[in-house]
Amino acid sequence: MVDPSLLNYVLPVVLGVYGLAYSIYSIVVLRGPTVPDMVLALDVMTVDLIIIYLLIALYYGSPMLAIGAIPLASWILLLDFVVAKYLLEVRKK
Amino acid sequence: MIDVLLFVLGSSLLVLSAVLSLIGAVGFLRFRNFFIRLHSATVGSIGGGVYGLVGLALLTLSLDVPGYLKYYIFGVAIVSAALVVFASPTGSHILSRAAYRSGEAAPRPLIKDKLKEAGLE
Repeated sequence: MVDPSLLNYVLPVVLGVYGLAYSIYSIVVLRGPTVPDMVLALDVMTVDLIIIYLLIALYYGSPMLAIGAIPLASWILLLDFVVAKYLLEVRKK
Repeated sequence: MIDVLLFVLGSSLLVLSAVLSLIGAVGFLRFRNFFIRLHSATVGSIGGGVYGLVGLALLTLSLDVPGYLKYYIFGVAIVSAALVVFASPTGSHILSRAAYRSGEAAPRPLIKDKLKEAGLE
């Protein structure tokens, strides 16, 4: 078995890079330029958020923090589906 | 011995996935239109998400932590990875189809539109 204190070398690097990617995606979500771009960026942000959730759960040793990961993963498809329906039915030119 | 191997493999996958996620994010900023940004979305979600979740699952298995925590996080990571593998490409496809058909995102520069020629617009 590997000592969990070794995580202190891996987690700051990984969380830092994921945090940077997350902030860049949030710029795209806020700026656009179109609705599909925003939704696509939100999808990838959600995937990053799942990993950040699980890393924090592992760091604090609490499985309760990890509960949100599976609904978040399901949310990706649901969001795309709802926005696609909206685009096709409401905003079709 | 196998624990050290799992730890090294999991950490490497996690770091690779973080870098791929950053590359995908930069691609989102740099690419010109929605249909080209779909490529960087794939890099971000499959490279930056699924690799990382599988790496996290392997990393968790190798650690000396209580069993309930280890197997819980392993299970959640694998199930989330499976859901992302299913949901992300499907969602991108649905979204790009809707963006093309509704005219919300214009595919420019456009050299040849095979969908229009085939009447599948």
